[in-house]
Amino acid sequence: MAHEQEECKKIQYPLDSSSYKILDEIGVGVSAIVYKAACVPMNSTVVAIKAIDLDRSRVDLDGIRRESKTMSLLSHPNILNAHCSFTVDSRLWVVMPFMSGGSLQSIISSSFPDGLPEPCIAIVLKETLNALSYLHMQGHLHRDIKAGNILIDSNGSVKLADFGVSASIYEPSSAQGGASSSSASRLMLTDMAGTPYWMAPEVIHSHTGYSVKADIWSFGITALELAHGRPPLSHLPPSKSLLLKITQRLRLSDYDKSNEKDKNKKFSKAFKDMVGSCLDRDPSKRPSAEKLLKHSFFRNCKGADFLVTNVLSGLPSVEDRFRESKILHKNGSDDGEEDSESDSATPIVKQRRISGWNFNEDGFELDPVFPTESKDEQIGKQVRFGGETVIPDNKSSESDNPDDDVVKQVRFGGETIIQDQKSNEPDNRGDSSSGSPGAAEEEAQVGGDEESEPGNREIIESENIGGGGGGGGGIDRETVVGGLLALRRSLDEQRQHVTDMIVLAGGEVAREDQLVQQQLIERLRMELENERQSNFELEMELEFLKLQISGASNSGGTD
Amino acid sequence: MKGLFKSKPRTPADVVRQTRDLLMFAGRNNDTRESKREEKMAELYKNIRELKQILYGNSESEPVSEACAQLTQEFFRENTLRLLITYLPKLNLEARKDATQVVANLQRQQVQSKLIASDYLEKNIDLLDILISGYENADMALHYGAMLRECIRHQTVARYVLESQHMKKFFDYIQLPNFDIAADAAATFKELLTRHKSTVAEFLSKNYEWFFAEYNSKLLESSNYITRRQAIKLLGDMLLDRSNSVVMTRYVSSRDNLRILMNLLRESSKSIQIEAFHVFKLFAANQNKPPDIVSIFIANRSKLLRLFADFKLDKEDEQFEADKALVVKEIASLEPRDRP
Repeated sequence: MAHEQEECKKIQYPLDSSSYKILDEIGVGVSAIVYKAACVPMNSTVVAIKAIDLDRSRVDLDGIRRESKTMSLLSHPNILNAHCSFTVDSRLWVVMPFMSGGSLQSIISSSFPDGLPEPCIAIVLKETLNALSYLHMQGHLHRDIKAGNILIDSNGSVKLADFGVSASIYEPSSAQGGASSSSASRLMLTDMAGTPYWMAPEVIHSHTGYSVKADIWSFGITALELAHGRPPLSHLPPSKSLLLKITQRLRLSDYDKSNEKDKNKKFSKAFKDMVGSCLDRDPSKRPSAEKLLKHSFFRNCKGADFLVTNVLSGLPSVEDRFRESKILHKNGSDDGEEDSESDSATPIVKQRRISGWNFNEDGFELDPVFPTESKDEQIGKQVRFGGETVIPDNKSSESDNPDDDVVKQVRFGGETIIQDQKSNEPDNRGDSSSGSPGAAEEEAQVGGDEESEPGNREIIESENIGGGGGGGGGIDRETVVGGLLALRRSLDEQRQHVTDMIVLAGGEVAREDQLVQQQLIERLRMELENERQSNFELEMELEFLKLQISGASNSGGTD
Repeated sequence: MKGLFKSKPRTPADVVRQTRDLLMFAGRNNDTRESKREEKMAELYKNIRELKQILYGNSESEPVSEACAQLTQEFFRENTLRLLITYLPKLNLEARKDATQVVANLQRQQVQSKLIASDYLEKNIDLLDILISGYENADMALHYGAMLRECIRHQTVARYVLESQHMKKFFDYIQLPNFDIAADAAATFKELLTRHKSTVAEFLSKNYEWFFAEYNSKLLESSNYITRRQAIKLLGDMLLDRSNSVVMTRYVSSRDNLRILMNLLRESSKSIQIEAFHVFKLFAANQNKPPDIVSIFIANRSKLLRLFADFKLDKEDEQFEADKALVVKEIASLEPRDRP
């Protein structure tokens, strides 16, 4: 049986460009273009061709070789294989089956801005899990699980694509270009790859290395993405390095706005439970793909036909969606996420700053102008699930911050699912002024909700002055950072209180009159937003100051 | 059958022995019923996977060194590796991948601080012929290629391949139209020519004439972009290696070689230009330039200097700038010499 499968599987596609007729462009990445094409000698079968420019200096040939080889040796109904690949001048053409539905990300942004209905999500996630389970069993990590990499065909079949950053735990040396094979302990990887919002905490802070469980985290984030139409925290810049390149975000955070609608959106307990288990900060507590497949959420999962009728019907074609998105995001430096194949078409590994650029949902501009961010921005640093706080975590998007002392919580519908008080590792480099954060914290606590904003400003200003005197002309960065971090911590605590109150109130709402409570919650929430706004402004100011400092002290501040 | 093996836990050696028996079965032609055969093959796949799990561990447990040693010893005590390589085409895709990983791992396993895989391969060196010819079979190329790269970690094995007639075939394998296979062959080729320094130096000295004639005409002057790019990079790696200094001196004394390098310097591809520069600089830095090389430099002096004036990396690189300054200075100061 296996033999037969083997034999009919490999239909050899022609290995020369003249056999293919390009029909349309369906995706663009930093160094790749994706075409829809017809394979003329094969009855004009429609295919997708990813044309990767090998002459871009960033492109690493070994990485491409690995991706290509990985793809051609995988065989699973939920994994997108390449038919073949060959070079055309300085481009590598990877010929793949054409998935006419495009990526889930493109489907969502074109037709389901507030997320997919739960039964559809279940199907997509289940199929994705099948692929993940296979990959993990083979010793591969995907490392870039997100809706943009999940494709759907006209018959509703779901396939996981894009192994641009995938790695094999059986070939630790090849991942490093032969540099240091011994450093990566077996079954663990240490280099960083992926797209920030979907990245597991241990990938970002990878002192210890990470394993297949990092994919499970990304899978959980993807679930939220499908449920809401965008990944959590997506209104924040994907990394600090990117933060320095933002002028303003064109679109507001629709995520928070859509929450208004989301309130009516009820997700099942099983769904919340499933996602919650994936988002455990402790990788060892996350279930394996295999185990997740047995979760009750997937028990009565519908079939591919359900996706055809509920998701695919009436959907604009992949080509049209791509054209549309091109108009929407004219910015050339945006690495479009509109189409699956478009975004991470570049096999760039380990360069987080670049992979961060993948992200363009909020229409980032990338010139450094500071710090006049528009007032109407929302800076909620919360992950929400149907209006409830899931993960208040302002850290996961800023990996290189030296301070980690933040309370991290994941909640679902009032009950705390994950509580993780990550204590500060005592490697707070050169935190010379241990007194000032404490002082700032006190200040912030004394100042109530309303007053804390001006109060905080004062702290910063006074510290700037003090630091300026001590640092011999420059501003004492350490002090400012310390102060700001303490401030943020206290804000987090306050937010925590408010969240608790909301939860408490929410519990009673069920029984008593809802309107008053709702209004109270709204008001508290507004206050919180204000707090966060001011916090964010201060952060931006700090970034700006840092820029100035580094600009003044030396010109070669590479960041 | 299943019950027979379930009764007591099998030792790693048991798994190897059973794998061997099943491989022999797989090798016999279809004299059994189809259903029986399927059952046996499934059993074989399970065994190969078990071997892999013993060697690599799994998500729950790390590999146990004693079990690995036992497995390795039994594996090479008899001809299991030969059977596995020979009958690999009869296995399904998943089992081929498992088998490849098993073979790869076994090359690094030490038994009483000896790499017994190396000894085994030395006595069964013809297995390498099978592995190399895998590049001519699209279905097997990636599996055999991966095994081959692991086997040439052993110096004696690498020497065998370098000195064999197979070496010439690599110039064609590298340019196969199928990218995966061509890239795999290129990776093996590179490994052969860089891994074992003394062996490589000896090989290049002994085979200088034909090797570089092929290298220049088939690879550096190939019409295929990726071939040129990989070849110029590898050439730089080889010539800049201290152990190959004799070969390098010889290479940079040839005007034909210089002509090829100058053409590569003029390529539109930045990556190729940069790699070409790293070889070109050796011609310029050579303190005993033959007169014909000097005259080429002088004849092309203004063009070269103009080229280098605009020649920059995307990222700042002090070493590169320093090299460039030296090359420019050297070329600018050249005087026509009298012929000896």
